[in-house]
Amino acid sequence: MSLDWLDAFLISGLFEVVIVIGLALLLHLQLGLARIANFGIVGFFGLGMYAFGVLYVRVDWPFGDPWQFLACAALATVIAGVAGLIVGWLIADLNTDGVLLETLGFATIVLILATTEKDLTGGALGMGGLGFPFDIGTVKQNEFLWLVIASLVVVAILLYAWQVHRSPYGRLLIATGGNEALARSLGKPTYRTKILLFAFTSGLMGLLGAMYGVMIRFLSIENLGVDITLAVMVGLVLGGTARVWGAVVGVILTVGLFDIIIQSYLPLPQEWYTQAIPVLREAVFGATLIVVLLFRPLGILGDMRRDKLMEKIHGR
Amino acid sequence: MDFITQSVVIGLSEQAPLVLAALGFALIYRLTGLINVAYAETVTLGAYFAMWLNTTFQLDFYAVLIPTAILSGLLSVGTYLLIFRPAKRRNVGTLEMIIISFGLAIFLRHGLQFIFGYPVRFFDVPPPDTVWVLGVGVTSFRLVALVSIAILSLLLYLFIQRSSYGLQIRALASDENLAKVSGIRPLVVTVMIWFIAGVAGGLAGAFYGVGSSVQPLLGWRQFLFILLVVLVGGRWGLAGVIAVGVATGIALAAMTLSFGQVLYAQLALIVFFMALLKWQGKRLTETAKV
Repeated sequence: MSLDWLDAFLISGLFEVVIVIGLALLLHLQLGLARIANFGIVGFFGLGMYAFGVLYVRVDWPFGDPWQFLACAALATVIAGVAGLIVGWLIADLNTDGVLLETLGFATIVLILATTEKDLTGGALGMGGLGFPFDIGTVKQNEFLWLVIASLVVVAILLYAWQVHRSPYGRLLIATGGNEALARSLGKPTYRTKILLFAFTSGLMGLLGAMYGVMIRFLSIENLGVDITLAVMVGLVLGGTARVWGAVVGVILTVGLFDIIIQSYLPLPQEWYTQAIPVLREAVFGATLIVVLLFRPLGILGDMRRDKLMEKIHGR
Repeated sequence: MDFITQSVVIGLSEQAPLVLAALGFALIYRLTGLINVAYAETVTLGAYFAMWLNTTFQLDFYAVLIPTAILSGLLSVGTYLLIFRPAKRRNVGTLEMIIISFGLAIFLRHGLQFIFGYPVRFFDVPPPDTVWVLGVGVTSFRLVALVSIAILSLLLYLFIQRSSYGLQIRALASDENLAKVSGIRPLVVTVMIWFIAGVAGGLAGAFYGVGSSVQPLLGWRQFLFILLVVLVGGRWGLAGVIAVGVATGIALAAMTLSFGQVLYAQLALIVFFMALLKWQGKRLTETAKV
């Protein structure tokens, strides 16, 4: 298959957009429905990425790819899910301030461990040795196939989130997020619901981290900064936290704009791309969060009919 | 005994700015209940303001502290008047307020790089002397910082607890409507709080910066500890914030000496505070506000 029409930057830009959409969909379930403000997204994402990397590179598996990849990705997902279970238990009865502290704390713990455990993670020097679980020809072809696979995973998450919206479980999440005390007084298991939701979605964040690690092929603690949390949050908030499509629309308008349109198509001086554009990207993302929450708190898709219900439930 | 002495001296001298930063953060938290993530950038910009004044106008480090304090205070007031006050008037929820402050933090952190440049910056100050305190070598800068911060913290504490303005601040924090009825002007008092908080954060940043380097992540790297100190210590008021801040500094120094690496010390402390927060539950964070 000839991919001459496809620019390498475009593939990596699209991959970034797809992964951030996946994370934003998972944050939508946590924040948009259950009102759990996860500021430690990068912690679960990074844990999955590094757990996968360590298992894939350091462990001597008796079988090769694709089984090696599948085993490592599954284990990385479980590890991130168990971490989500623990953090979910920690935050289940805390208010927003406590949730902020616990999730930020968790992300910091992951960063510290990735830095200090040099024998496993390579520390500040990073860790190489990761690769695609297949070889269909050129690097570009492999990357393109990986982009397709990641897109399918994210579509599956999208369908799951959609299904949750239309299920009794989704209504339980909305009730828990809207008025937890009331939901509990009606006999709903809000505590357990929050913990299990957090564990499941955190595990999937870990899976996306593992897939991201395969694409970049070299893990660095630079990937564990607050940037990814910001990108996910700004995308979701811009699109609308309470809507499934909010995550998709918001991320395309933010990460898509910077990582595809500006990086690939605008004829800007080369030196801008190393410092000015990344810094401008983050500054614009930060400003977007402020402006949207001040002037359109329900996001771009916020005026649709179903949001009247969300508005009522969330007391806004 | 040596270990304890070393821990206390190193902990107090190296982490003194943490206490000052936590005091400023606690003032806003107690008054508004807002977790202002952008406070991290007040600390960062304090370091940048001081470095800029020091290197551009060739001013002595101690001479730049007053203009730095004023600039940081004005920055803090500016964020309140331009962002948080309009947000409050629009009835933005607690969670959304935190996200707004997160956005503001990111905006300021990256916006400042367009003004001050991308590279790591340093103060232009002569190499500090080493002073021996109880057998432990401490640089003169850290020692002066410790004394300055101790005096500033005490003044701040007395101002809030003993002065009539402090009484107004505490009244406003307890019950805004009752405070209004009592003749307190909420806007004036709130602006004063944000200014004082900015002064404390900016000075803390200046002391952090002169001790190491000035870079965009300076305040963010301290923010988690500031938050931990305020959420845990705030239940006992400002005195609790000071006590927990001091204890945190000493514990960090002691564990760094034991583990041989500051990151392990930070890790242990974060895990401890996270578990403590869970143990104390919602009561702890709620009581920290009033």
